[in-house]
Amino acid sequence: MKKMQFQSFRSRLVAVFLGLFVVIQATGYAVVAAFVRSTARQHVEDELRLASTLFARQLDDRTRQLVAATRLLSGDFALKTAVATADHATTASVLDNHRQRVDADILILASLDGAVVADTQRPARHGAPFPAPRLLEEAEAGRQGSDVVAIDGRLYRLTVVPLMAPEPIAWLAAGFAIDDRIAADLARLSGLQVSFVAHEGGQAAVQASTLAAADREALARQLPSGRKAGVLELDGGEHLLRIEPVGQNVVVVLQRPLAQALAPYDRLLLILLVVAVAGVLLALLGATLVARRVSRPVLTLAQGARRVAAGDFTTSVAIRQRDELGELASTFNEMVGGLRERERVRDELERTARLKRFFSPPLADALSAGDESLLTSHRREITVVFCDLRGFTAFAEAADAEEVMRLLREYHEAVGPLVFRYEGTLERFTGDGLMVFFNDPVPCPDPAARAVRMAVAMRDAVASLLQTWRRRGHLLGFGAGIAMGYATIGRIGFEGRFDYAAIGTVTNLSARLCQEARDGQILVSQQVYVEIESLVEAKAVGPLALRGFAKPVPVYDVLGLRPEPTPTVVGATT
Amino acid sequence: MRRWLALAVGAALVLLVPHPPAPVSAAGALETTVRDDGGKPLADVVVSLTATGTSPTGPRPPAAVMDQQNKTFVPLVLAVPVGTPVTFPNRDNIRHHVYSFSAPKRFELPLYIGTPAAPVVFDKAGVIVLGCNIHDWMVGYVYVADTPYFAKTAEDGRTRVADVPPGAYEARVWHPRMRGEPDKTAKPVTIATGESIQLTFVVALKPDRRPSPPRPQYEERPQGS
Repeated sequence: MKKMQFQSFRSRLVAVFLGLFVVIQATGYAVVAAFVRSTARQHVEDELRLASTLFARQLDDRTRQLVAATRLLSGDFALKTAVATADHATTASVLDNHRQRVDADILILASLDGAVVADTQRPARHGAPFPAPRLLEEAEAGRQGSDVVAIDGRLYRLTVVPLMAPEPIAWLAAGFAIDDRIAADLARLSGLQVSFVAHEGGQAAVQASTLAAADREALARQLPSGRKAGVLELDGGEHLLRIEPVGQNVVVVLQRPLAQALAPYDRLLLILLVVAVAGVLLALLGATLVARRVSRPVLTLAQGARRVAAGDFTTSVAIRQRDELGELASTFNEMVGGLRERERVRDELERTARLKRFFSPPLADALSAGDESLLTSHRREITVVFCDLRGFTAFAEAADAEEVMRLLREYHEAVGPLVFRYEGTLERFTGDGLMVFFNDPVPCPDPAARAVRMAVAMRDAVASLLQTWRRRGHLLGFGAGIAMGYATIGRIGFEGRFDYAAIGTVTNLSARLCQEARDGQILVSQQVYVEIESLVEAKAVGPLALRGFAKPVPVYDVLGLRPEPTPTVVGATT
Repeated sequence: MRRWLALAVGAALVLLVPHPPAPVSAAGALETTVRDDGGKPLADVVVSLTATGTSPTGPRPPAAVMDQQNKTFVPLVLAVPVGTPVTFPNRDNIRHHVYSFSAPKRFELPLYIGTPAAPVVFDKAGVIVLGCNIHDWMVGYVYVADTPYFAKTAEDGRTRVADVPPGAYEARVWHPRMRGEPDKTAKPVTIATGESIQLTFVVALKPDRRPSPPRPQYEERPQGS
C-alpha cells in the first residue's frame, strides 16, 4: 500500500510534467497550424489576385491582337469591294477565308443599320439583327467595342471595327471562342481552375471551364454575386475563388483548392507533430528521470523508516542533496539518532535492571552509569559469603512442589533485600543456596565487616521464619560460611544469559565452611576473623579438615555483633 | 505654288468652256451663309438650287479636277453638275489608288502616277466618297448636282449662286459631316430678276472621325550636309 502510494506519487509527478508539456506543445501546434492556415489562405488569395490580373492581361492581349488583325482585315480592298458590290455569296466566302487568316473563331459582317450580312458561324443568320447591338453602338460612338457575348449558347470575345471605304460602309465583328479549350489554356499557365460564368436573367451558367460537370453546377449555384472573392465548397474541400468581370455579363472565376495550398505546409505540420511527439516522449523520459530522482530519496527514506520500524536504530539514510529532501534525510537521520539514543538509554535501563540481579540497586546504577569494564575478567581480593538451609534437601524430597516453592519464596523475600542492603554482589542463587561476595565489582573499604553483618542479619531474619516453618512441620536450619581471599572474577555465560562469577579458593573455602556450619552457625576463616575481631563476639571452633584443603583450617563461629557506638552501615535505611 | 497652279489650271478650264446662253431676262442670285451648330462659319458646304418645275438641262458640263496633293484630296469637296468628267491628277511622287464604292459612281483607279488618260465621268447625281486604297486617311467627296445652280461655301461660310433665272426653287445644303438628310434642309426660294436673296443655314455636324495621317516615325535628316 505504501509502495503503491509512492508509485502513484511518481506517476502523478510524471503526469503533471507531461500534461504541462503536452498543453504547451498542443498550444504551439495549434497556433502554428492556425497561422499556417491563414498564411496559406492569404497566399492563395494573393496568388488568385495576381493570376486574375495576368488573366485579364492575357485576355486583353488576345483581344488586342484580334482587334489589330481585324483592323488589318477591314482594310482589305477585296473585302471592301465584295461588300460594296453587295454580292452576298462572295462576301460570305471572303469572310470565311479571312477568318482563317486572322485565326478567329467567328467573323460577322453587319450592315450600318445593324443587320447581319454574313456570319461564318451560321450563314443562315443573314438578315437577322446583329447579336450584340451594344457593340455596334460603341463602335458607332467611335469607341473600340469589345465584350464577351453569348452567341448560340457559346461565349465569344467579340470585337467590332468599321469597314472604311473610306467612310464606314459596314461593321466587321471578329471573335474568339471562350470555351473549355481556352479555359484549359489559361489554366495551364497558372495551375488554377478556370471557369467562365455568364449571368443571364439573374441565372449564372458556367459556359466554359476546366471543372468537371458536377463542380460546374456547384460553382453556378454557389457563385457569389457582386464580390471579387469567395469560397466554393466542393466534395474535395474548400476552394478559394477570385471573380473578375471579363464582359458585360460574364465573369472569369479562378479557383484553387485550399488543400493544395496547404499541402506544402502539411509536411511542416507533420514535422512539427513529429517534433511535438518526440518532445512529449523526451519530456516523458525527463519527467520519469526527474520523478525517479525525486522519489528515489523518498523511497530511500521510506526504506529507512521501515528499518527503523523493524527496530534497527543503527540505520541512516545516505542522501547527499542540498535541497529539501537532503534536509529531510538529515532530519530523519537526526530523528533516528534520537531514537537510537533513547534505545540506548532503555538498554542501559534494562542492563541496570539486569545488574540489579547481581548488585544492590545503587551499585547497579553506578555500574550502568560507568563502563562495563568492571565486569570484565579480573583478579581481586573479595570476601565471599555462602549460606543455605539445613535439611532442605530432605524437605524438598518429601514435601510437595507447591510447598517447596512457597517456602523458598518466603526465604528469598527475607534474605534477598539484605544482600542489597549490605551492597553485596549476588553471585549465585540456587534453590536454598546463596553466594554473595563483597569488594567487587565496586571496591568497598570493609568487605569482611559487611559480609559478617549481612550474614548475622540473615541469620536473624531467617530465625523467625524457621520457627514458622517448624510450626508447619518442616525442620530446617540456617548456616553460613565466610572466607576472604583472591579470586578471578568476571562475566560468564552467553548473550542473553550472563552471570557474574568469582572463581578461586576463596569461594571453595566459604562453600566448605557453609557446609560445615550447623544450624545458626556462621563460620568464618582465620583471615576474616582477623578483620572483624573487634566487631563480633566469636569463638574459635578449631582447625577443621575440609575437603579440597590439604591442611586443617582454623575456623571461628560468629556468635553475634558487638554493640557498636555508631552504625557504619551504608544505605541501611533502604 | 502647286495649289496656285492647280487653281490657275482650273480657272483656265472654266474659262475655256463657254457660258450657257444667258436667259431671256437678267438673272437673280442667292447669297447664302452657312454656320455649324456651334455658330461657326462652315466651309465646303454645297448649296444648290433645284427648280420646282422642270430642271433645265444644260450642255455637257466642263471637266473638273480632283487633285491628290500631299496625300490629300484637293479640294475636299468637289461640286460638279451631272455628267461632269473629272480627272484625278496625282501630284505626289508616290502612287495613289483612288476608288469609290458609292452607288452613283463606282470606280477604281489602281495605283497610278501622274494624270490618268481618261477622266471619270460622273453621270448620276449624288455624293461619291473617294478613298485611296493605300492611304486610309485620304477622303474626298464629289458632289454631283442635278442642277447647274450650286456653289460651295468658302472659309467664311458664305457663298453666292449667281445667274439664276427667276423662278421658284428649293435651296438645299450638303456637307460631308452633316447630320440628317440633305432633303430635310430644303427651303423654298423665289429668285427674282436682279435680286439677291439672302439665306442662312445652320448645319448640325457629326464628329470628325476621319483617320489622321500617320506621324513620321523618324526625323528626316537634313540633306546635303
